[in-house]
Amino acid sequence: MAKITSMMDIGKRSMMNSQTALTTVAHNMANKSTEGYSRQRVDQVAGPSINEGRLNIGTGARAAAVTRTNNPWLERQLEKEGAEFKALETRADGMSKVENIFNEQTNKSINVYVADFFNSFRELANAPESTTARTVVKESAEQMTNEFKKVHGQLTGVQKSLDNTIEFAVVELNQQIKEIAQLNEKIQHVEVTGGVANDERDRRDLLLKKISEKADITYGEDRKTGMVSVTLGKTAILVSGSLHTALKTVNDEDNKVRIMYELSPGGTSVDVSSQISKGSMGAALDLRDHLIDDLKNGLNDMAMSIAEQVNAAHREGYDRTGQMGGSFFRIDGNARQPTLTFDLSTTVAEDVSRIAAAAKPGAPGDNTVANVLHNIQFEPMMGDGTTIDDFYNSKVGQIGILTQRANKGFEAQQNVITQLSNLRESISGVSLDEEAAKMIEYQKAFEASARLIKVADEMFDTVLNLKRL
Amino acid sequence: MRVTDKMNQASVLNNITKNRTEMNNLQSQASTLKRVTKPSDDPLASTRVLQARTEDRNYQQFQKNIFNAKSFLEFTDQTLSELTEVMVRAKELAIQAASDTGGSTPREVSAAEVRQLFDQTVGLANRRVGERYIFSGYKTTTMPFDSTGNYFGDDGDIKIQTHKDAYVAMNISGDKVFLGKGLGVDGNARARGETPVSIEQVQQFKAKELQRESDKKEFEQTDVQVRGPAAVGQTSAVGHKDPQSGSEGINLFSALQTLAIGMQTNDKPTIQETIEVLDQAMSQVVRMRAEVGARMNAMNATFEGLQKSILDNKSIASQLEDADMFQVVSDINKTESTLKASMETSSKLLNQSLMDFLR
Repeated sequence: MAKITSMMDIGKRSMMNSQTALTTVAHNMANKSTEGYSRQRVDQVAGPSINEGRLNIGTGARAAAVTRTNNPWLERQLEKEGAEFKALETRADGMSKVENIFNEQTNKSINVYVADFFNSFRELANAPESTTARTVVKESAEQMTNEFKKVHGQLTGVQKSLDNTIEFAVVELNQQIKEIAQLNEKIQHVEVTGGVANDERDRRDLLLKKISEKADITYGEDRKTGMVSVTLGKTAILVSGSLHTALKTVNDEDNKVRIMYELSPGGTSVDVSSQISKGSMGAALDLRDHLIDDLKNGLNDMAMSIAEQVNAAHREGYDRTGQMGGSFFRIDGNARQPTLTFDLSTTVAEDVSRIAAAAKPGAPGDNTVANVLHNIQFEPMMGDGTTIDDFYNSKVGQIGILTQRANKGFEAQQNVITQLSNLRESISGVSLDEEAAKMIEYQKAFEASARLIKVADEMFDTVLNLKRL
Repeated sequence: MRVTDKMNQASVLNNITKNRTEMNNLQSQASTLKRVTKPSDDPLASTRVLQARTEDRNYQQFQKNIFNAKSFLEFTDQTLSELTEVMVRAKELAIQAASDTGGSTPREVSAAEVRQLFDQTVGLANRRVGERYIFSGYKTTTMPFDSTGNYFGDDGDIKIQTHKDAYVAMNISGDKVFLGKGLGVDGNARARGETPVSIEQVQQFKAKELQRESDKKEFEQTDVQVRGPAAVGQTSAVGHKDPQSGSEGINLFSALQTLAIGMQTNDKPTIQETIEVLDQAMSQVVRMRAEVGARMNAMNATFEGLQKSILDNKSIASQLEDADMFQVVSDINKTESTLKASMETSSKLLNQSLMDFLR
């Protein structure tokens, strides 16, 4: 036979359960906007029944666990696409900076200065005696070499800003792996007693996602301890249990940032830059070391070709003083970046009458060599058999195409992310309407349980007053 | 599907951002009137535009070249026309002097005028455009003729680029006009048709020039020019064949000199002979004028061609990079109404909550 005390007990525990559930509702509501949060639910199970003869009498409900609603497969996908998204974002951002340098729709740059340079030789061919024409040649040559150096410098600037991106990412990553190591310890601590560390796991998932957005990592969870170990690239173990190893950055001989991993505390470091190909760091490294270096090499090739061709033709000529022409430009082909050494030769810079326009000495009106000099503009002098204009224009076209592709890829990926985030939200996100409904549900349950205790109390009274009746 | 508040918020933000980006794009098109403001807007078009721009700059430079060369040639033409008049007058005087009616006094008077014509010819031969002597070949800063008609210039042709692969000489050297050298088949005299445009070509050109120079020197050493006196009756330069061109040219100065001396000495046969020589001299000058005219015509034709190319280039560039205003404005209106619509629906969407109904 059921007992009144057990009824009272059921009411009491039911009230407590409702309170737990209401607290969880409150927790959900409060974390509505928390990044990476998965909504939580109290799992209630019916209590064990007591067998009395043929009757199985229930003993109420108990809160078994607080669980999070989370689809791990979706989270993994979101992580993968998020890494791609950040990579494309970094790429599109860097490309638009590069594009700006080569954007001649709005401002004058190499294309114009090269054309002006060769046209100045045409002007010289018109009047080889004229000091004015010679000065114009000198000025436009200087403008051209300066423009080459300027563009080269701007490209270095973009590389520097990518270096900053990398350095900043490393700082963030180091903090994040430290937090993961701490969370590992906490999760183990909580779960060893049989519970589930929902909020810690949410936070750790989010951090892993954030690290994936920066670089390629692999990670795995130890089933027994619930700890994850994180490996960067193929070899660099960042987190192992509650221990973590921070990354370091150093500058190499090109003044570029390299990412180093310490094999043992204070021991030798290895360069892991080449192992990073994904995420924002991967994209920044790729842009910096491939695309921008290629563009710089293109500039170097152009400067070298112009200098060599112009010098070769110039040496065939005679200047106003009747001497054979020397070098028109000087450039150090052995320098790391020859463009930076691209300049007028001192002879020409100091005395414009040393510009050689004639094919024989003592003929101030002879423009034969000036004609050869400006015709270099139409000579296929680049390595791939194109003219200097075509070479440069095709580079600009190439940048345009790459930027366009990066932007489109970025937009497409944004849509993918939006889709997946929506999917995740629809599973794990907090809906205020839903929580409001739950709130009312548990509030009513709470009220009803209280009422039950009152009923039991009245039943006790009835029993105690039996005699007086 | 379970729709949460965050989803609503994200989609509202997304839509508005998209519309705003589109608006921003259209706005920049409308304000710059350009469809392509950076290479990635249309990589192919922007490459083509760059090409067109370089071409435009080159074409304008070619026009400048032509303009400059034309003024030089026009001045040469003017000078040659004056020279023709001098020759005509000399011939008139020669014909007068050759007839017997005049007696000896008028011949002396004519001789004075012929000497004056000689000086005038020297003056014409030393004409300048700005600081440049027009008849001294490459040696534009050297006065080509002294007062006795000796030549100090060279036979250089100043080649001016009129189009990508086209060069036209803008001068005629004085030895051709006044000394009759290097006439006839020009190609033999020097590589006039070709303009060296590469390093190899200029090296060959220089070698050829050196050879030619030494040939010329050799010839000039063996060729002793004899002017007057009247007893000789003619100049050996008249009718002499140029060693390279094989042509016969007239030395105008010698001709005039001979005429003057003939008149002074009353040497009728010489005077009569000179009439023939002066005829040849005139046709020599006329030939030079014809050459100048032909060059100017060629340049005019090229100039017009360039003008057309410049226009074509501009219209190509415009088609590629300029925005279609009607399209842009109508797109702006469309995007604006979309933006408004998304804002309005957003205000409805975001305000909905069950909380409002639980009282």
